[in-house]
Amino acid sequence: MSVYINSTGHFLPGPPVSNDEMEPLLGLVHGKPSRLKRRILQSNGIHTRHYAIDASHNTLFSNAEMAAKAAEHCLTGSFIGKRQIKMLSAATSQGDMVLPGFGSMLQAELGLNDIELHNSHGICSASMMALKAAFINLKAGEQPNALVVASELTSRLFKASRYEAAGTELDFNAEFLRWMLSDGAGAMLLETQPRGRCFRIDWIRSFSHADAYPVCMSVGYPTDSNHSQSWQDYATYAEAEAAGALLIRQDVRLLENIVKLGVDGYLRLIAEGRVQPDKVDHVLCHYSSHYFRGKIFDMLQRAGVGIAEHKWYSNLYSRGNTGCASIFIMLDEFRRTQNYKTGDTIICMVPESGRFNNAYMQLTVVEA
Amino acid sequence: MTEHLLSPQGQQCLQALMRVWFEFERQLGRVPLLQRLERGQFSKADYCQLLQHWRQQVIEGSRWISRCASSFDRDYSDVRSTIIGHAREEHRDYEMLERDYVAAGGSLSDIQNAPRNIGTEALHGFLMYRASQPNPVDLIGAMWIIEGLGQKMANSWAAQIDKTTGGDGSYTRFMRYHGANDDGHMQKLYQLIDRLCQSPAQLTAIVRTARVTARLYCLQLEEVEHEY
Repeated sequence: MSVYINSTGHFLPGPPVSNDEMEPLLGLVHGKPSRLKRRILQSNGIHTRHYAIDASHNTLFSNAEMAAKAAEHCLTGSFIGKRQIKMLSAATSQGDMVLPGFGSMLQAELGLNDIELHNSHGICSASMMALKAAFINLKAGEQPNALVVASELTSRLFKASRYEAAGTELDFNAEFLRWMLSDGAGAMLLETQPRGRCFRIDWIRSFSHADAYPVCMSVGYPTDSNHSQSWQDYATYAEAEAAGALLIRQDVRLLENIVKLGVDGYLRLIAEGRVQPDKVDHVLCHYSSHYFRGKIFDMLQRAGVGIAEHKWYSNLYSRGNTGCASIFIMLDEFRRTQNYKTGDTIICMVPESGRFNNAYMQLTVVEA
Repeated sequence: MTEHLLSPQGQQCLQALMRVWFEFERQLGRVPLLQRLERGQFSKADYCQLLQHWRQQVIEGSRWISRCASSFDRDYSDVRSTIIGHAREEHRDYEMLERDYVAAGGSLSDIQNAPRNIGTEALHGFLMYRASQPNPVDLIGAMWIIEGLGQKMANSWAAQIDKTTGGDGSYTRFMRYHGANDDGHMQKLYQLIDRLCQSPAQLTAIVRTARVTARLYCLQLEEVEHEY
């Protein structure tokens, strides 16, 4: 049985926020402008992004509300309505609640009846894991359709007050993601029958390397990298916050590994015969930063499996890095705005730096 | 980019060698000593221990590479020139390593009299055997791993060692020096891959030797902390 992406949707909260507007919105930490901001923004290449919080740090849309809006946008363009949805597969790195699962909150927000539910938790690759669960469920004949939704509301972690609560001066690793990540949601409708011009999912594969690498992106450990105590081990949450255990961090020194592992997975898929580089027509890669795009590109080129630059598509620069929602928001905009034709092959890649999980997918454009 | 252009056979070989390298890096990531280095729980004593075990492999390294050069016949005289040049550049590197050891607080007689690491025994047994074969084309696979490791030492280990042991670079010169010569070495390596990998059988042999080298290199590092 084949599985098709018959519709897609997205939701980006509020107006686009330019680089100059970021800091006034997120706030000055200890009243001082960031010294790292410009350097980090230059390297990631992002010009505009969206935030679900305002300058007074009110949350204008919850994570579940954003996810629901993306799902509704997706269903607007589909042949089926909410009543026919049989499965919901949801992904986020952090829901509005600690418990229950994000998918339950999203189901209630959307008002879906009697569905089968799947939650996927992680960082950038969580959406691909949610998508794979839905894909396999449909392929096995368990359900005729599934709504897959990925949503992120990380800006709540970037309020100046959060950094101030953690006390001392900001270190690079704690500040890095403040200038990288932003909010948004994406959705896809999967069905076992194709409708109109749609994408057939040929395969989805991922390779995780957590056993061989340290944690690279995290929330939950305090500033000192001894990793002995997680945020839940403190007597009170206030103590955990004061120790900096609730800040989101990126171990920048380890980031280069993501490029190598991304290329490694791609070479494996070529060796397996799953990817034929000369047959690839479009590449949608969730590289977190423009800086990495060049690196991935060079390595593939040198090994003779490079894909011409004009085949690469990304909306990172205008929509921002929305974590696990990025690849869905990217595919949605690709589907609505780019030129592609029946028979075209699309490769999607999501290298996740959390603890190094790389996901890949191949789609073929079909016409029902 | 043009200077990196490889033949289709060379490119296939490079793809395979890249995968061997990535696998090797993951193997290294599972070595407890290196995991502690990554986490910043690594002392000067650990560093001295590492150098003590590393010295023999640096000495043996210049021997197998010279042997390898002499095993290429006149049809490969261009290759022989390149490899002789490389062996000449590196054959006294171990002296720099000894100076680092002393600068880090070790005594020269300790490092000079240290017993040989058993991983080094296995690695050099294998490399000397391969280097003694006529036209040992497959050793480009070993050079790939060793050159790659030189880059990794220079670009990542040296700084991390200085950071965790409070060093100022004065005792990580050997590791850093490899980085300074990288680009030239890598460039020569790409040319050698093109020159030496001209058939599927050669590709298989090169990749196999790269994998054996990687595995035995890892064994060396695992053995650094193995007290017997």
